[in-house]
Amino acid sequence: MKIFKNETFLSVLYLILAFVMGICIFAFSIFTTLRLTVFTPGFLSETLNQSEYYTDLCDEITDSLMDIGDASGLDKSFFDNFVDEVLVREDVQSYIDAFYSGNSLKVDSSNFEKALKAALEKYEEDNGLDKKDFSEENINYFVEEASKIYVQNVELNYFPYIQEKAIKYTSKLNIYIAVTGVVMLISLLLIIFTNKWKHIAVRYIYYGTASSGLFMLLIPIVVFLSGVIDRITILTRSLNDMYTACINSVFTVILTVAILLIVVSALLWILHNVLRKRALN
Amino acid sequence: MKKSSKKIDKTVRRFVIVPIVMCVAMCLLTVAVFYPTIAYLVPVGNMFLSDKQVDYSKAYDNIFVPTDNDSDTVDASEIDFPSINKQFGEIKIEGRDVYSKLFFGDGSVPLRNGVGVYAGSFIPGYGKTILIAGHNNTYFNGLKNVKKGDVVEINTSYGNYKYKITKTKIYNANSKESYDLKADKENLILYTCYPFDQLGLTEKRFFVYAKKISGPQIVGLYE
Repeated sequence: MKIFKNETFLSVLYLILAFVMGICIFAFSIFTTLRLTVFTPGFLSETLNQSEYYTDLCDEITDSLMDIGDASGLDKSFFDNFVDEVLVREDVQSYIDAFYSGNSLKVDSSNFEKALKAALEKYEEDNGLDKKDFSEENINYFVEEASKIYVQNVELNYFPYIQEKAIKYTSKLNIYIAVTGVVMLISLLLIIFTNKWKHIAVRYIYYGTASSGLFMLLIPIVVFLSGVIDRITILTRSLNDMYTACINSVFTVILTVAILLIVVSALLWILHNVLRKRALN
Repeated sequence: MKKSSKKIDKTVRRFVIVPIVMCVAMCLLTVAVFYPTIAYLVPVGNMFLSDKQVDYSKAYDNIFVPTDNDSDTVDASEIDFPSINKQFGEIKIEGRDVYSKLFFGDGSVPLRNGVGVYAGSFIPGYGKTILIAGHNNTYFNGLKNVKKGDVVEINTSYGNYKYKITKTKIYNANSKESYDLKADKENLILYTCYPFDQLGLTEKRFFVYAKKISGPQIVGLYE
């Protein structure tokens, strides 16, 4: 009876240990995924490059410029291919770099203004416009307003509000990753070295990895199947592209890690059977 | 046979049921621990979700169907009232090169495709101020030709209206004197940037004022 009680007690203890390990695997995986994705500048840049963000952004800037062009005596053809995607990419990248490094989030529109002034001068020449056809003041007002449009479009909405928090969380995340990693390792070592039978130790490790794998699998499945990403509504198509592409990428990484954990669990199941057979023999 | 089934039961219990139970326990624990901290983010998140997939196309709805209705009144219940960015009529000034689609709202979609009624003013037939904006380089370029006495025609699905131009005036963009949205008499105001056909943006606006001469009055508005 005493032996039975001891065995039951030990089983419960190991189940708790496996549960703690499972939670730590889950937390460690989620924190690491976040650290390597949304909290890494390269991830956002890469996601933007792979999405339709820059194409849509250039179209939106062109449309808005055409709107003020309609009020400024400019032909629509003036804006054909005017917005330089390379310049837009450079300015967005500078904005992202400033966001992650904690610098002031300002868009430098001087290159855009220079290009606009040059294009206006060429337009005046091509159309044989005389100085009496316009005033410098009105031209400068147009350039000023066009520059505002450019800056508003290049700026990433909501980023100024979350910059401070994002920087704080980056250092906190490193601590969370370290803590969950250490607890996970301790539980793993305890399970391995306090069990006389290795196949039983492998079974408890299996519980930890399989349960965390299932939990991780559940999150992207719920998100993807609920269609919540398709219902995201942000002001413009380009920003919508950016946010949905980032969210999709993060959940795809979570899904990949979940599948990896489930594969590891399957291997542990096989290992358990092999070790058990060996122990019985 | 019985032994083999018992073995399968044990395997299922150990390798399927236990991880599932642990997964459920993890879900409950995570919700219990984190929900109070992130609960306030749920309504914030909902602000960025719509009922259906958002449509960013530049297309607009057109509810304008020409009508011959020449009665003096039209019941509000018979009108398909326009919402923002919908074309609900057309506007023209004979002989002055002004002909355009008429939208409700004066944002980028209306002004790219025609002219638009400022959403803080009223639609024709209301008996109040109708304030219509258009670009001077496109659909309202012809306003430079208008003269006192010219007739502005606005056709909608619920009636056709005529307004006689009483005066034109130039104001600064921020001028408060240029229009009165509280006026109790139906009056039409068209405006665009000024001067016409010049390069660059300007802070001046060209206003055209007109009074109603015909068209059905909308009745039953507040019933």
